[in-house]
Amino acid sequence: MTGNKNNIYFDNAATSWPKPETVYHSAEIHMRSAFGNPGRSGHTRTLAADRLIYRVREKTADFFNIADPARIAFTLNATDALNMAIKGLLEKGDHVLYTAMEHNAVLRPLTRLKTEGIIETTMIPCSDEGDPDLVFLENAYRPSTRLLIINHASNVVGTIVPIKRMIESAHQRGVPALVDTAQSAGCIKIDIQADDIDLLAFTGHKSLLGPTGTGGLYVRPGLDLKPLREGGTGSQSELDLQPENMPERLEAGTLNSTGLAGLLAGIDYIEDRGLDNIHDQEKKIRAYLYERLLDIKGITVFGPPETDRCTCVVSFNLGDTDCGSLGHILENRYGIFCRTGLHCAPYAHRTIGTFPAGTVRISPGIFTKTDDIDYFIKALKEIATLTGI
Amino acid sequence: MGQNCYITFSSIHQAIRAEKLLEKKRYAYKMVPVPRSISSSCGSALQCTCQDITALGNFLGDKNIEIEGLYRVKEAKLRALSVEKLS
Repeated sequence: MTGNKNNIYFDNAATSWPKPETVYHSAEIHMRSAFGNPGRSGHTRTLAADRLIYRVREKTADFFNIADPARIAFTLNATDALNMAIKGLLEKGDHVLYTAMEHNAVLRPLTRLKTEGIIETTMIPCSDEGDPDLVFLENAYRPSTRLLIINHASNVVGTIVPIKRMIESAHQRGVPALVDTAQSAGCIKIDIQADDIDLLAFTGHKSLLGPTGTGGLYVRPGLDLKPLREGGTGSQSELDLQPENMPERLEAGTLNSTGLAGLLAGIDYIEDRGLDNIHDQEKKIRAYLYERLLDIKGITVFGPPETDRCTCVVSFNLGDTDCGSLGHILENRYGIFCRTGLHCAPYAHRTIGTFPAGTVRISPGIFTKTDDIDYFIKALKEIATLTGI
Repeated sequence: MGQNCYITFSSIHQAIRAEKLLEKKRYAYKMVPVPRSISSSCGSALQCTCQDITALGNFLGDKNIEIEGLYRVKEAKLRALSVEKLS
């Protein structure tokens, strides 16, 4: 099969591709039409942009069951939203709890604040399948604990964390919870009210199927964040400081309305197909992939075998091969795109025992077919033979 | 000389929400840039007839729209002659 180069994209956990046709169309139409700058001016083209932004906010709020759409601030991505929450909420002397499965989008802001002597942190250890130690969590709260940060689903092994249980535990101590849904939004059902989420960071360009440069932060009513960025909002221009009302509080500068037009079409697509249907399809694909991978001699597959506990992500290593070289040969010889290394989650890799070597991560998407998996497995078997495994 | 009435909002989100709620109502209105003679947090205001403004204000208030103010503005030659804050 060598030389039979395909174009199989298995890196949807990094950014989804392809997008539904309607996403391309919606973003293009928006850019070509004479939309004004939302919130500025007041002429009819600006109003058209205002109406679009309103629709996206309302659509996003419905999607996550958020009662008041104005509590969602649009951001560049999940990292931006997480920075906004962490730096907007925490003050000197605060203590933060976070899980070992967190992404660098959480780890790095926390580490800087800790290094500067502003906050203290405690990492909740996880099992080698990525499940947080809930007994450890119960004993980790301090009087100064101000925030619990939970990665809803691991970007390395896909493990879905029991957020509701963890949030309940935090709320018993009056501690709000920040949930990073970079890997789960658009993939599994998230209900702000049922899960009692205080702060939710999401990205638009992964399972919500929108363009890059889109995302958001939900802030529960009553929680006031200091703005990460300050500047023009088109409103209350006479004020020397950022307005206090949401979403302007956290939205300085021109919004990515072109990207948000695409995101609107992405969420529409998910709703048309049904989130549950998409999740069921992805579970089947992951189960098939996981099972077929276990057929390969010398392979180590990470993460829970049960698909019900996972998003559509599988990490593995093949014998003692270098995961980066393996990824390179998969692309160059077979046209298969995947992500290798540490996936911006060094403590997740320490947890599953793959630090610093890393893993190969396969993340199929909503357009992946079992034929694509079969082709990939064949390629992997051929590589195993070539490398003498 | 003529007069127009305006409803101002705390943010553009509230203004567009108001517009959406009024979509199927019988009132004549349009969204316009806020006259500088009126102080408003948001750059767009809802312009309506002065006969309808009280009913509109009540309707939107009942829907929890964050209204900043209701105004009657007497205007001539693109200048405000007088501004009256109704509520």
